[in-house]
Amino acid sequence: MSALSQLRAVRTVLAAGAVLRALAWGAGAAISLLLFAALVDLTVPLSLAARSAILVLAVFAAIAIPAALVWRDRGVLSLNRVALWIEEHFPALEYALVTAVETGDRGFIEHARPEPWKPAALRRAILAVRAPMAIAVVATIALLVLPAGAVARIRSPHAGDSVERDPAGRRSDASRLTPLAADVTPPAYSGERPRAIDEPSDVKTLVGSVINIHGRGDAAGIVAHVGPDTIVARQTADRWSIEFRVAAKPAAVRLTDRGFQRIIAVEPVADEPPSVVLVAPAHDSVLRTPTGRIALSADATDDLGLVSAAFEYIISSGEGETFKFASGTLGAVQSKGRRATIASSISIDSLALKPGDIVHLRAVARDANDVTGPGIGVSETRSIRIARKDEYDSVAVDAAAPPDAEKSVISQRMLILLAEALQKRRPSLRRDMVVSESRRIAVDQKRLRRTVGDIVFTRLGGDPSGEEHNEEESPERAKTMEEMLARADSATNRSTDPIDFEGGESPVVAVNRPLLEAYNAMWAASTELEIGEPGVALPHMRRALAAIQKARQAERLYLRGTAPAVVIDVNKSRLTGKDKGASSARRALTSSDSVSHARVSRFAAIIELVARDPRSAIDSLLVLRIDALGDEPAFAAALSDAANAMRRGKSEDATAALTRARRSLAGSQVVRDSLARWGIVP
Amino acid sequence: MSTEFVFATAQYDSGDWDSAPLVPPNIIDTIARYTEIAVAPTGVNVPLGNERMLRYPLLYMTGHLPVRFTDAERRNVKRFVERGGLLFIDDHNHDIDGTFHKTATEEITRSVGALAELPNNHPLYSAFFKFDGPPTTSHELNGWGDNLVHKHLLAVQRNGRIAVLYSSKDYSSEWNYHPESKRFLSVDNTRFAVNLVVYALTA
Repeated sequence: MSALSQLRAVRTVLAAGAVLRALAWGAGAAISLLLFAALVDLTVPLSLAARSAILVLAVFAAIAIPAALVWRDRGVLSLNRVALWIEEHFPALEYALVTAVETGDRGFIEHARPEPWKPAALRRAILAVRAPMAIAVVATIALLVLPAGAVARIRSPHAGDSVERDPAGRRSDASRLTPLAADVTPPAYSGERPRAIDEPSDVKTLVGSVINIHGRGDAAGIVAHVGPDTIVARQTADRWSIEFRVAAKPAAVRLTDRGFQRIIAVEPVADEPPSVVLVAPAHDSVLRTPTGRIALSADATDDLGLVSAAFEYIISSGEGETFKFASGTLGAVQSKGRRATIASSISIDSLALKPGDIVHLRAVARDANDVTGPGIGVSETRSIRIARKDEYDSVAVDAAAPPDAEKSVISQRMLILLAEALQKRRPSLRRDMVVSESRRIAVDQKRLRRTVGDIVFTRLGGDPSGEEHNEEESPERAKTMEEMLARADSATNRSTDPIDFEGGESPVVAVNRPLLEAYNAMWAASTELEIGEPGVALPHMRRALAAIQKARQAERLYLRGTAPAVVIDVNKSRLTGKDKGASSARRALTSSDSVSHARVSRFAAIIELVARDPRSAIDSLLVLRIDALGDEPAFAAALSDAANAMRRGKSEDATAALTRARRSLAGSQVVRDSLARWGIVP
Repeated sequence: MSTEFVFATAQYDSGDWDSAPLVPPNIIDTIARYTEIAVAPTGVNVPLGNERMLRYPLLYMTGHLPVRFTDAERRNVKRFVERGGLLFIDDHNHDIDGTFHKTATEEITRSVGALAELPNNHPLYSAFFKFDGPPTTSHELNGWGDNLVHKHLLAVQRNGRIAVLYSSKDYSSEWNYHPESKRFLSVDNTRFAVNLVVYALTA
């Protein structure tokens, strides 16, 4: 073998040595780092983030250190540098080798005595690798000696691996509730992935999820209290576990192991029903004729997933006290996504609607919830009404023409206004003008009086045309209220003698008395108006108006949509009832904000506990949070923040969160106070 | 703040909530006739979609047409019963299978919870006057509607109290007359309303 060939062989050996040494340093550093982290973790538990960072750092070290060393030793690839290294170790060459490499003239070393360059290079390479390799080996052995769980936590950190950790020096009488992990498996329909939580104190998950809480050690004696239920731990290998399903209400899971206790707040998340928006028809509507086709369109969304959506309709027919209904669905679709759009149309012709019928339309969507559902979301309801025949003048007018009694009210009010105006202008008018205008009002007052008389007479069974529609001078015309009543009774073949009833008053008189009073007052008013005395007529006219109003209220004569404001004279009615009851067994309802008051007290007690026993205070905060989750979400969130901050030892954050909680609680008190004991007059 | 009891009628978007306008004054008159409860002389109509409805301990709701709550109405009804209010719903259609019944019970089930038969020995029936169960109405005795005499009222109970009381007996028709007409009755048929009010105000 020539000298140059030997030189190349030496370069290969030295390069291999350099690479091996770099790799060994890299491995040694990475393994040492993991070993160090595992040892620290055995003493003080490292967080998942810290362990993940350490793992990344170790991998980085395993790559970066060799790369850096190889880069630093890249000179080993140069024949000049290798030749110099040989010259350094074999001085007898007297630079002949270096000169030959630099000039490329092999003549300089043709006569050089062959030396054992390669063994020397081999020894150098081994020497370089020895130290880092030793470190790597020792660290690896140390890792193998450590508990498997401890290494696994560093090697592959993941949520829920807290139970892998077996603290150094753990005593047999220590709590088995630490370390603790929880596996949360959401219901299958949700499509959500299972997750694990280390040292759980607060678990928020879908209703119906299965929570498996597990820890190290024997299961004997470990129980969990979930609401009224007690669950005993089961044994699996060297672990204990407790499994339960998340109910709809928040719960504080109380784990006990001998004298040790641990509380986990379970906050159920309700699967929201689908949200449905009816896009078309966009508004309620009134159709003049029951023909045509109405386009339907709706959008549905759900937090987890829809199953189906459809339109529903109800047709209501009838009025007053008699209604009939028909219902059905349209445009049903199956859906698997979180969002769906449905469209259809409804033929008005095919529904055989009649005037006055109303079609109530809405969209309905169902989700896939097979645990507490299915959740059903509905849109706003739109009403399509078919106009009645008496609405021909304008379909926008809802009310029919007012009944006669209503018209009487309106007319009487108008006559009063006319008479008042005339009375006001009277000083400036001549007497003959006053009489003339007053008589014009009198004519209207008489006409109105006849109308009222018709109403009374018709109700009593007579023919109005045979009574009041005759001329004033007609001998058949009733002259007084009593005569009117006598004729009415005569027409119905009743006796004019009052039937013995309440207060000796006949029902005929009782029912019609207000209108008869109006009739009589109108008579007096028209008489005064006839002689040109509007001022004297006005009190009679007002009495007539009051009587008509009384009649319409007593007989449910009122305009649709404007309910009569009946004012009860409470003092007059007070304790006039014949029957006697008793509520002595009942007591006044407690203030509706008693819940808030109780929370304030509990919160204050916890604040006092914070300084004395922080751990108990944290547990109490969690329990109070569970209690408040349903109706005081802001307060509950603040309590959760406070508990978490206290657990992390961040007192400033805890103080801020507790302050927020206190403010939230005080705010809610004001709202609760708004529910008065008996209700209030707005 | 007034401590008078104010009779409140629930106003909802979907139906004819004002179908029995004389029931409130009639009940107010009845309360005055039989009790010493301080009662406002007029009732109020309060929209279910407005938080004002939370101020009243008793809400009366009736109608003939389908009941479809808006989101706000549903939310407020839930809050109302959670705060201890009593929602009294009466089917003005006196028809157990009618649409008012179907839609109203559906909405209540969704907003508050499922309705169940109220036992006829419930404290409601002895809160003031003694009843053996819900008083019958002339409409059901006449076979109007579903031709049934309903032996029970339905209710959703919360913490041992009635939160929602549902009636198919059509008290809305039975009580919908002017208070002055009570003088024609040998037995006041609105006495059960006193029990309702007393129950809502006491424990």
